[in-house]
Amino acid sequence: MTAPATTAARSKGSGPASGVAGKASAGSRILQKLAIDRFSGVYIIVVLVVTFCLWIPQTFATQANLRVLLASQAITGIIALAATVCLISGVFDLSIGATMSLSISMVGVLQATGGVNPIVAVLISLAAGAAVGCINALVVTRFNIDPVIGTLAMSAVLAAVSWWVANGETVLYGLSPTFVSFGDIVLGVPAPIIYLAVIAVIAWYVLEHTPAGRYLYAAGANPVAARLSGVNVTKLTWGALISSGVLASAAGVALTLQLGTAPFAGGVSYLLPAYAAAFLGSTQIEPGRFNVAGTVVSMFIVAVAVRGLQLRLPDAPWIADLVQGVILLLAVGFAVWARRRRIARG
Amino acid sequence: MLTEGVLAGPRHAADEPAVPAGAPVLEIRNLSKTFPGVRALLDASVTIAAGEIHSLVGQNGSGKSTLIKVLAGVYEPDAGATASVRGEALALGDGKAAHDLGIRFVHQDLGLIDNLTAVDNIALGFGYDTAAGGRIRWRAQRERAALALSLVVDDFPLDRPAGTLTVFQRTALAIARALQDFGENGSLLVLDEPTATMPRDQVEHLFTLLRRIRERGTPVLLVTHHMEEVFAVSDRVTVLRDGSIVSVEQTADLDTPRLVSLMTGGVHRKLERGAGPDLEQVALSVRGLTGDTLKGLDLDVHRGEIVGVAGLGGSGREEICALLFGAEKRTGGEIAVDGKTLPPNDPGEAVTRRIGMVPAHRHTQGLILSESVRRNMTLATLTDFVKGGRVQRKREAAAVAEHITAFGVKTASAEVPVNTLSGGNQQKVVLAKWLRLKPTVLLLDEPTQGVDIAAQADLHQLIFEAAAAGTAVLVCSSDEMELARISDRVLVVRDGTVHAELDSGRATPHNIFAATLGTAPDDGAAGHLDEDLGSDDRTAASPTLSSSPVSSSDPVDGE
Ligand SMILES: Nc1ncnc2c1ncn2[C@@H]1O[C@H](COP(=O)(O)OP(=O)(O)OP(=O)(O)O)[C@@H](O)[C@H]1O
Ligand SMILES: [Mg+2]
Repeated sequence: MTAPATTAARSKGSGPASGVAGKASAGSRILQKLAIDRFSGVYIIVVLVVTFCLWIPQTFATQANLRVLLASQAITGIIALAATVCLISGVFDLSIGATMSLSISMVGVLQATGGVNPIVAVLISLAAGAAVGCINALVVTRFNIDPVIGTLAMSAVLAAVSWWVANGETVLYGLSPTFVSFGDIVLGVPAPIIYLAVIAVIAWYVLEHTPAGRYLYAAGANPVAARLSGVNVTKLTWGALISSGVLASAAGVALTLQLGTAPFAGGVSYLLPAYAAAFLGSTQIEPGRFNVAGTVVSMFIVAVAVRGLQLRLPDAPWIADLVQGVILLLAVGFAVWARRRRIARG
Repeated sequence: MLTEGVLAGPRHAADEPAVPAGAPVLEIRNLSKTFPGVRALLDASVTIAAGEIHSLVGQNGSGKSTLIKVLAGVYEPDAGATASVRGEALALGDGKAAHDLGIRFVHQDLGLIDNLTAVDNIALGFGYDTAAGGRIRWRAQRERAALALSLVVDDFPLDRPAGTLTVFQRTALAIARALQDFGENGSLLVLDEPTATMPRDQVEHLFTLLRRIRERGTPVLLVTHHMEEVFAVSDRVTVLRDGSIVSVEQTADLDTPRLVSLMTGGVHRKLERGAGPDLEQVALSVRGLTGDTLKGLDLDVHRGEIVGVAGLGGSGREEICALLFGAEKRTGGEIAVDGKTLPPNDPGEAVTRRIGMVPAHRHTQGLILSESVRRNMTLATLTDFVKGGRVQRKREAAAVAEHITAFGVKTASAEVPVNTLSGGNQQKVVLAKWLRLKPTVLLLDEPTQGVDIAAQADLHQLIFEAAAAGTAVLVCSSDEMELARISDRVLVVRDGTVHAELDSGRATPHNIFAATLGTAPDDGAAGHLDEDLGSDDRTAASPTLSSSPVSSSDPVDGE
């Protein structure tokens, strides 16, 4: 909605400047080659990594640190994809954090207290995420409630439900060992990062290569014109909100099997990083539109910056919030500035 | 009385003129503008003199809007351009400087916020009227909006969101917004295609207003594709072709064929209708169609037939396509396509049944502006390219490349966002999107709005070809000339129903227009129609603009 990709009257990026070769200076030609405006995020990651490796080699440049980084980002990545899908469809889903909490409570309590088979517990949690998505979709499409408000309210309700499900306690014991083993290291990397990779590839394929993805982008950018082209916008909104519910639940499951415990409000803190990654992502890879690759790259920028500073300043627990907030502001500001410049220069 | 406050300002013409009539007000020198892959303007120099209405004409993509947008500060020009207003230097590309020097703009896309009302839209151009403490004085604000609008149009619905207004009302609103503080230091009013979809009876209204502004010594720069408007209202005309200025002439020294050949470089084509309608088969049958203004409309369109629909603003004509397609909800009536009933309010079903609609509002309804030309062209027919659940991009790109050539779309590539195209070229993309559906029924609402006169002929030819292939075409248009040229018969809508039907022999622009006003059509002769583009003289054909039969109360004189 407020996404950079959707304001109808504004011009969008047309990719790296081509043509006008005669006028481009050597410098700007190099910039074009490097496609700075599309891949700046990748370069920033490289710069950050090199900086921290030189600055704090004993703590940053270690295999253990790499694993921590990947493991924590796997979870953020999955929920950031939930945010991305919604933003593409032109809808804000602010309930993804709370949905993630619900899924954490459910997958934990079902196993620990209910003695349910872990696979069944996971499936039930994912189904709960889908159900949340359905309710959100109903609220948005049928009752015409603004998605921001509708999902914010939903988020409060879900916080209550998760508390109630978990009885306000973190499930510390009783998770099935098989279940927890799915959070282990596989092929040298934490398993959840593999789940993220699989989910990201599927999301990328659906969004970029199937009619549903094309329709979703169209409906998000101009729902009226999309409807008048025969696109079923209502159905897409349902699809997007259900997907985000399921993805948020998946993030909850991934967090639980990684921690081996189920903190009943564990999803809340993932909301901001998810949206930060998605918005920053809209300035990357395919500038001007929310996109899967951009989201993933952006998430790692934020992660590397936060992780490096955390290691450097172990006594500053506020550093993560600060960096995330500042990066989100810079990201959106940069996106707006880049677009203005593209319009003025053509 | 209303006039004095807003429009009057110093009366240059009557009193001591601050600028003698004819003295240059705006001078632009050596203006070039290059976009990636496109040179939109090349070394253009333009002078606008005091007290003139100056038309800027040229084919789609010739650079008219770009020139205006550079002046307005939307784009930065290439290095080397200079400009001055009344001798004072103007930095091109600086919107605030242009505004401070008294230049006001109404752009092609109008720039209205669709979900805000007229009152808010007008305030956005000028600032809210606030009391102490920043409280908005709504009553004063409302009055100011009403006053600004009363200069352009009577009876404006102040409280409807702009998105729900008719094309004319939207245009009027944008003009009113631009003009609201004009009296104080106005030096130039710039209008980019204000009449593209404006019903003819309202065009005269607008021109009366423009003449009024001219009388005060304030020049007007006007972009239009309607040749008869150039002659009806402007004193001088500047012709752009491919980004360069090819000619600046007194309108009095020109005629339509000469002007058209200046614009096109002398190319023109003859239309070929091909196979006529198959009167045995009704493709679209409508009974009792009812909506906001329509009251029980009946019509049939046969396979291969092109039926035109004329009607003034408010007659119900504007609704027909949207109701038939299901874009808006009909409150009554039956629609059958090829004998099978079409459910209401379901554009998806309409597309499945191979019904296409080119909507009147290109920006809000016709295109996804931020998406590429390719994605827009194939949005309604994407399933053609799907194999195994995947969109085959190569095949899609090849088809799109073909359409770009066939429709003569001027674009840097198929992958640029469609909002980088000129207005007329965007319209071609919308038409291409629907013609590639090979529709059974094609609903066209102002199909060639903003399309230049040569490209209009190209698009008409494509519509003819679709009809020859069996498509039933319904064209709703405020342009009688267009209706007369392409329709097999014309239905005239008044007060929500079909008021008259003119067969192709009698469907001259003159007769159509007369019928929209409710007068009985003459039998023949009055307006003749010439298919040949070169001698397409709309001044002769249209009664409105030479001698106005409309008793349109002069909005500026209104006491
Ligand atoms: N923002 C942009 N980026 C890239 N190319 C552009 C941009 N704006 C305009 N162009 C190109 O510049 C050329 C001139 O466009 P412009 O809008 O000035 O044409 P126009 O004369 O107003 O045409 P029309 O009659 O169709 O409105 C076109 O080829 C168009 O594609
Ligand atoms: Mg234009």
